Amino acid sequence: MPKALQFSLFVPGILLFVLVFAMFPVVLQADHFEGALSFNWSGGFTSIGDYLKGIWNGQSFHYLSGKTELSFWEQIGRSFTVTFFYITVGGIIGTTLGVLLGVYFAVTRIKWLKRFLELTAVFPDFVIVILLQFLIVIIATETGFVIFDVASFSTDDPAIALPLISTIIIPANYMIRNVALHMSHTLTEDYISFAKARGLGRRYIISYHALPNVLPFIKADLHKFMGILFGNLFIFEYLYNLGGVTMLVFSNAFAFTGYQYSLVVNGIFTLLLLYVIVYGLLRLVILGAEKVFVR
Amino acid sequence: MNKTLITGLIIIVIMIAASLFGQYFAPHTLDEHQSVTYVVDENGEGDLTVPPIPPGKQYPLGTDKEGYDMLAKLLAGSKYTIFISLAIAFLRLLLGGIIGLFLGYFSKIKPSRTDKLPIWNMLNGIPIFIIVWMIMIGITMNPAASPLYMSSILAVILTLVGIPTVASTMKEKTMIMREKQFILSAKSIGAGHWTIIRRHIFPHLKESFVILFVQEIVLSLSLFGQLAIFNIFVGGTTMYFDPVQYVSRSNEWSGLIGQARDYLFIYQWVLFIPLIAYIIYILGFHLISVGLEKKYKQQFSKFSHI
Repeated sequence: MPKALQFSLFVPGILLFVLVFAMFPVVLQADHFEGALSFNWSGGFTSIGDYLKGIWNGQSFHYLSGKTELSFWEQIGRSFTVTFFYITVGGIIGTTLGVLLGVYFAVTRIKWLKRFLELTAVFPDFVIVILLQFLIVIIATETGFVIFDVASFSTDDPAIALPLISTIIIPANYMIRNVALHMSHTLTEDYISFAKARGLGRRYIISYHALPNVLPFIKADLHKFMGILFGNLFIFEYLYNLGGVTMLVFSNAFAFTGYQYSLVVNGIFTLLLLYVIVYGLLRLVILGAEKVFVR
Repeated sequence: MNKTLITGLIIIVIMIAASLFGQYFAPHTLDEHQSVTYVVDENGEGDLTVPPIPPGKQYPLGTDKEGYDMLAKLLAGSKYTIFISLAIAFLRLLLGGIIGLFLGYFSKIKPSRTDKLPIWNMLNGIPIFIIVWMIMIGITMNPAASPLYMSSILAVILTLVGIPTVASTMKEKTMIMREKQFILSAKSIGAGHWTIIRRHIFPHLKESFVILFVQEIVLSLSLFGQLAIFNIFVGGTTMYFDPVQYVSRSNEWSGLIGQARDYLFIYQWVLFIPLIAYIIYILGFHLISVGLEKKYKQQFSKFSHI
């Protein structure tokens, strides 16, 4: 398929996917007395229709928070900023740190460090968040000194340090392992031993022979990296009580009147927009790295 | 066999044995209930017992806020945690593996290392657990069906969402394998497609299948956990109103973690005992996977020049 056709199919495809996928809570219903599952397809399609109609008169951009009706456009700005901040910082610092440490891990002989890294990587994100929070609580009860806030208690006093740490370490951890894996693969290649035989320095070989051959893998894996970044985002915004986009969607998905289809759809579109922006930024970072190392 | 592999296997075997037979040795059952008691001893000193009771002589792992023994809850939940995660991983591998093998063997495209198209990858922006959340949220709160039935629904959904990744991994590996010379020679002496897949490709992918199986268990466990954070528990959620409270119906471990999320500052054992059990279980499989990789690496791999 030519690229233009792919792209023109892609946008409506994504839109349709989000519209269909968000109607699941309406469609799939369980009987409250017998527990049998039933599919309410007509209800699902009605909500899509209502949403599309609501775009013209603006009804799709209002939602209920409890019993209060709010405008999506007025509320989304602040949430967008919060999520954008964390996801950009996490993405960019995570990739940079990941590549640098990944190279280090590929050549280092310190075994326990690698093992520790693999061990933390296997734990789901929420376990790491809870353990970090617990660490703060233990230190606070032992010494009486609260290092960081364990979560945001109000919007005026947001927790910043702990969310930042977790938004960086979890994706960075994935990046480190990935880079280290491809790096150690690349270092077994024949051209490395050839370069070594010609008397080139270790640092030179790593940055100009091995790294350029690892960068394509990082680029190809970027989507997976972004997937981890976003999956992580849902968890830590919730656990740290940050007022980001995912929290806006989750805490209001079920309001006084029941499931709010339009809010969920709008929220997912916002997240996809964020995805595109951050993906573009990360590609720029990699492009910069290529300009330096690839000759 | 190396030490890592053996340690992992021992952990998992102990856990499975405890989950199957532990109830016969446990000091308390799920029906026993510690209520608020006030005992006055002969010196006239009163002793007030109010659950949650911290871990101690009478309750080795303490009790929860309602006065139920944590050990009994863990044992009851372990059956769900252990066997459903195993079942999901097995089904994912079976279905995804077969699909991947056939797609890889019969597909016309040449294997490429960097994928060009997947602009569709943008859907990665919607994490899997959100998809499962969307499907489950309508049916999981106060269901009439039994916990086992609810868990099977969740297991089917988790299997279905996991098949594509397993299939594409297996497809890639098969595509690399089918370019090998021994496949060509098998073809030239007249072997059929089925024989080639069964006798030549599958044996080479056996190690990948084993490692992937272990990793899929860990993945499904982390999905359990992420869903539990958002109050979707394996086996269904009982929701109490006024004050709103979410309680796991099956006592599945990640459910116990999810429902005790607020016990960070006080009565911490209610949160940490299930969390530790969950971590050890994941750790066991992680050790198995690392041990297996090490074992296979010693057999096949090349070494770094630097």
